[in-house]
Amino acid sequence: MRKTVRVGALPLMAACGVLLFGTSAVLAHHSFAMFDMSKPVTLQGVVTAFEWTNPHAYIEVDVTDGPGGPRHWSIELGSPSILQRAGWKFSTLKFGDKVSAVVSPLKSGEPGCLLSRVTLADGRVLSNGGAAPATGAPATGAVRQP
Amino acid sequence: MRVCAVVVLAAGLVWAPLSGGASSAAPLPSARAIQQAPSGVPNLMGSWAPSSGRGADAKLAPPPAGPLVLKPEYAKAFEARRAADAEATRRGEPLPSAGMLCSPYGMPRMMAVATYPMEILQTPGQVTIIAEAFSEVRRIYLNRAQEPIDDVPPGYYGHSVGRWEGETLVVDTVGIKESVPGYNSMPHSRQMRITERFKLMAADVLFDEITIQDPVVLEKPVTYTRAYRRLPDYEMVEFVCENNREYVDAEGKVRMRLPGKVGQ
Repeated sequence: MRKTVRVGALPLMAACGVLLFGTSAVLAHHSFAMFDMSKPVTLQGVVTAFEWTNPHAYIEVDVTDGPGGPRHWSIELGSPSILQRAGWKFSTLKFGDKVSAVVSPLKSGEPGCLLSRVTLADGRVLSNGGAAPATGAPATGAVRQP
Repeated sequence: MRVCAVVVLAAGLVWAPLSGGASSAAPLPSARAIQQAPSGVPNLMGSWAPSSGRGADAKLAPPPAGPLVLKPEYAKAFEARRAADAEATRRGEPLPSAGMLCSPYGMPRMMAVATYPMEILQTPGQVTIIAEAFSEVRRIYLNRAQEPIDDVPPGYYGHSVGRWEGETLVVDTVGIKESVPGYNSMPHSRQMRITERFKLMAADVLFDEITIQDPVVLEKPVTYTRAYRRLPDYEMVEFVCENNREYVDAEGKVRMRLPGKVGQ
């Protein structure tokens, strides 16, 4: 008779339900300085693409209500690693989803921005992970991420 | 009664049952929680995240970094660069960096990139560290003599040898390419030597005390400590820098590429 080795008999460390990632500011991919963190704006629109990629994920949105009126915006997010710790999945968004996003726009005035938080069609609110500063906070001292 | 097991080596040590019992309804336990170091040495196996220590326990907080003192011939340009960087950031026009261009960090900066975890694998004769950000890998060969610096081809990770001194893993690294970003953006020469002392401060807290010597650039060695928290059951995430939209324009400014409408 065969018997499966019960590796479960080995001690298990506590599951890491909440990851604590307190750390000092560390330069990584790029500075947030190109974004105006002091003037959050809200974009409402329809997702045309959700790119679950490194060094950043992106939401492409046909904005119906936002500064400058209807136009297409690119919303930069953290990386998949950081986003998944904030509850995101690669399948969180898909083409055609309606979203409402609070973002920090590019200082250049172009339709690009950094996500602060997004409200999904089902009412869930997701942040941009723990590494990005909250919109409205000064960029200085923020933990930067690749 | 017979007990069979196969040890499978794939991105870490994973036990896999080999028996008809595989169809049992009993769930397999976490594979990652059973990682074991070679006997006789502290167990560093597993995933770790940069951390400021653990709570209010001062003994588990890393000590403050020592001063970074460059030789005068390097200090002036270094300070000018830092001032220019700060001013550019204040203007909202950050200066380009290697990381922004998706170039890996190399040693020693790969040992703490934002909040990205790293994975430590201990196998006979070797310790391997895999950083999640940019999927950087360094290999530390145990109980070997270090090569002369001038014999090591310049690279991002150099050549690392290590040995256990009691409960501390002491690692010596040489051969870092001069273009690899230095600690706190300090310049460094081919003569740079990095000495690390890895020590478990608690079962779930790891310190890496890093000392950088560079007789060409530094007035004296600089020492700082990175702290990490253990991440039980964490599975490292793929990181391929495939969609970098940041670029440097003709004026040297960092911009965000806007592809226009994409999607179906």
